[in-house]
Amino acid sequence: MSKALKAKDQLVRILVPAGKAAPTPPVGPALGARGVKSMDFCKEFNARTAHIEPGVPTPTLITVEPDRTFSFITKTPPTTYLLKKTAGIEKGTGRPGHEVTGTISLKHAYEVAKIKAKDAHLKHLKLESIASTVIGTARSLGLQVVP
Amino acid sequence: MSFLTLARSSIRQAFSPCLARGYAAKSSNPERIPNISTKDTSATEEKTLSSCPPGTILEGLNYLKGQPPVIALPDEEYPSWLWDLLKPKVYEDDGPGGKAEKKRLRKENQQRIKDQNFMKTQ
Repeated sequence: MSKALKAKDQLVRILVPAGKAAPTPPVGPALGARGVKSMDFCKEFNARTAHIEPGVPTPTLITVEPDRTFSFITKTPPTTYLLKKTAGIEKGTGRPGHEVTGTISLKHAYEVAKIKAKDAHLKHLKLESIASTVIGTARSLGLQVVP
Repeated sequence: MSFLTLARSSIRQAFSPCLARGYAAKSSNPERIPNISTKDTSATEEKTLSSCPPGTILEGLNYLKGQPPVIALPDEEYPSWLWDLLKPKVYEDDGPGGKAEKKRLRKENQQRIKDQNFMKTQ
């Protein structure tokens, strides 16, 4: 069912481990259905994420033109992933606000916000706003934020 | 008899360091509490703002290849707004119809809806 929509780009949002593209289940059908050769994408993706530690989940936004050419943008790792790694937990809680999974300092939140500020869609925000967003995300994971 | 008392006293003297009871108060070891770092200035004791002492390695944040580990800096090197982020945000009152009033009314409305919804489940 690979029908390219006429005169309209298709967007594919996907989370790919850095440097480890080309597994069939996540990437292959998602791109193949839109007419993109997954090997081309994977080679280019791995080249572009070569400076990132392998395995770090990297959100990418792939734009597929009607003539089957594609371009993609990579973004910084998800905030929850960064927070879980900093706090040393595997999963967030199923009951945020009621269960506490770990503790994080404001300095951790600041550093995470510094990483997220490199994103293009966040660069118009003050670092203060990004930091308060990060604190909100930490709370939804069940992490206690202390000064 | 005198020899025995002499022997006893000498034994007592030899043992007295072990038997001495220390009534002095134990001084608390500051290193035992790792997270609280206090700086003693000459005049007053400075309160640190953060529970994370400088030099702590923040793991997981060096996601680039070959990036050195991210280390926590001393409290002064962080912007001052960082320490206010956990306090509830205060909107200064700019009269009727202002931002503060809108936020307050919205919060009250949302709380009222939540209470009503909860009472319906009872």
